[in-house]
Amino acid sequence: MHWLTDPFQAEFMQRAFIAAVITGVVAPVVGTWVVLRRMANLGDAMSHGTLAGVGIAYAAGASVVVGALGAGLVMAVLLLVFSGNRRLGQETVIAVLGTAFFALGVVVISRVDAGVELTHFLFGRVLTVTWADVWLNLALGTAAVLAVALLFGELRLATFDHVQAEQVGVRVELVQGVLVMLLAVVVVISLRSVGIVMAVTMLVTPAATARLLARTLRQMTLLAVAFGVTEAVGGLILSYHLGSAPGATIGLVSAAGFAVVFGLTLPRRMPHHHRPLA
Amino acid sequence: MSAVSTGTGPLLEVDGLGVHYAATVALHDVSFAVDRGELVAVIGPNGAGKSTMFKAICGLVNHQGVVEVNGVHCHDRTDRMDLAYIPQRNDNDLHFPITVGELVMAGRRRFRHWWQRSSSADRAAAESALARVRLSGTADRALTELSGGQLQRAYVARALAQEASVVLLDEALSGVDQPTTLELLDVFRSLADEGTTIIVATHDLALARRRFSRCIAVNGTLRGDGAPGEVLSSDVLDATFGSASFVSGGPDALAD
Repeated sequence: MHWLTDPFQAEFMQRAFIAAVITGVVAPVVGTWVVLRRMANLGDAMSHGTLAGVGIAYAAGASVVVGALGAGLVMAVLLLVFSGNRRLGQETVIAVLGTAFFALGVVVISRVDAGVELTHFLFGRVLTVTWADVWLNLALGTAAVLAVALLFGELRLATFDHVQAEQVGVRVELVQGVLVMLLAVVVVISLRSVGIVMAVTMLVTPAATARLLARTLRQMTLLAVAFGVTEAVGGLILSYHLGSAPGATIGLVSAAGFAVVFGLTLPRRMPHHHRPLA
Repeated sequence: MSAVSTGTGPLLEVDGLGVHYAATVALHDVSFAVDRGELVAVIGPNGAGKSTMFKAICGLVNHQGVVEVNGVHCHDRTDRMDLAYIPQRNDNDLHFPITVGELVMAGRRRFRHWWQRSSSADRAAAESALARVRLSGTADRALTELSGGQLQRAYVARALAQEASVVLLDEALSGVDQPTTLELLDVFRSLADEGTTIIVATHDLALARRRFSRCIAVNGTLRGDGAPGEVLSSDVLDATFGSASFVSGGPDALAD
């Protein structure tokens, strides 16, 4: 028991705990839709590309949150513009944009900083999270979860059958646009906790794990949150005892959770049982 | 928003419908009108433009010409809520965590705003739609638990829950076995008798002749339109398929 509670004697670890829990809730709530819409690639590119906005804001002494959200918006717009090209697949455009924005961020930051801050942005610095960071993440996270809750029905329709959804009045492209902005919000929340690189882990892995078990959307969302919180806090505790980097440890714990559930559900999935009704 | 027609003209009127993909003309000058309760087979070879025609009618592709539903000129997708389209081998992920009941409820979205929850009236309508396609009691099932024919009927139930006056089914009878085909046709016939117009693209000319009240032949443009006996003649089949001889024994083999 002490093994679990000891790490949280110090106040900086308490703040880290809260930051990890917020990430563990919000990222999987948004991530559920990223997984269902098969947008994991986009999530990866968005999180990396956000570094451009973060870097520019950091170099200019402005708010990195605004920078990250701005980069997300610009990327979303550019993605819409370039994905009109039928000769290139959307996954190609996503990769080109994501790496370009990431490179821009690295170049800008490396000109003003020797590398410490770059490492913080990439892999998080959950142990130095301030109360201001915590409150900001709480506000952004609450807004993101509320947005998903409000749009739950629309997301379901637009994701399962976008053709029919549009026919009955769903604004499919608007729903997609909101989801892309929520991706940027998740990256901002992850910035201080697990970092930009590991943001995708929290976005995709708990939701993917939940997908293996859940029958309904509600089940999937709740399970994803349960995995997300457990893995974020578990990773934090483990990193304290191992003296390892918290963001990456959280990522590994999350991957381990996926591997275990994948293994346990393997027998159930192996023979494809499509049972027709009698 | 009722399924009952208020106009006196045809339920669905298509005039001068044409679709171009870059330099290719996929469909040219197609005109026809369909009344309430008709059961229409659309025939034509692969690549003839049947799917393109359905998509154009539903406003899914840019097109020339006019589509009117209940006498209302359709400008965009929202003018076409009275149409329901069930695509060929639709690309929906059947492993998506959605139940049969939730699938059918998707049709009810038309009657509320995005922020509104579904009402008990919506649920009653969805249950009644499932009953009409003989899928009562399946609302809590996952889509992967349905057979191919049951899935098609679930999509038809969604169209009924949408209170669509016209249901367009692209290749609904392909890849399903004979009993399922007959079961689907029975459902289509009973819905048509109740006033829903059903338009089905099919490759099965013998079924088109025996089980449909009307036949529309398409290959790039309209090649024939009328009672199955008239349309499934050697002249029209020649014009539609290039040759009528592909039917063993010639078009006479299509006779009852």
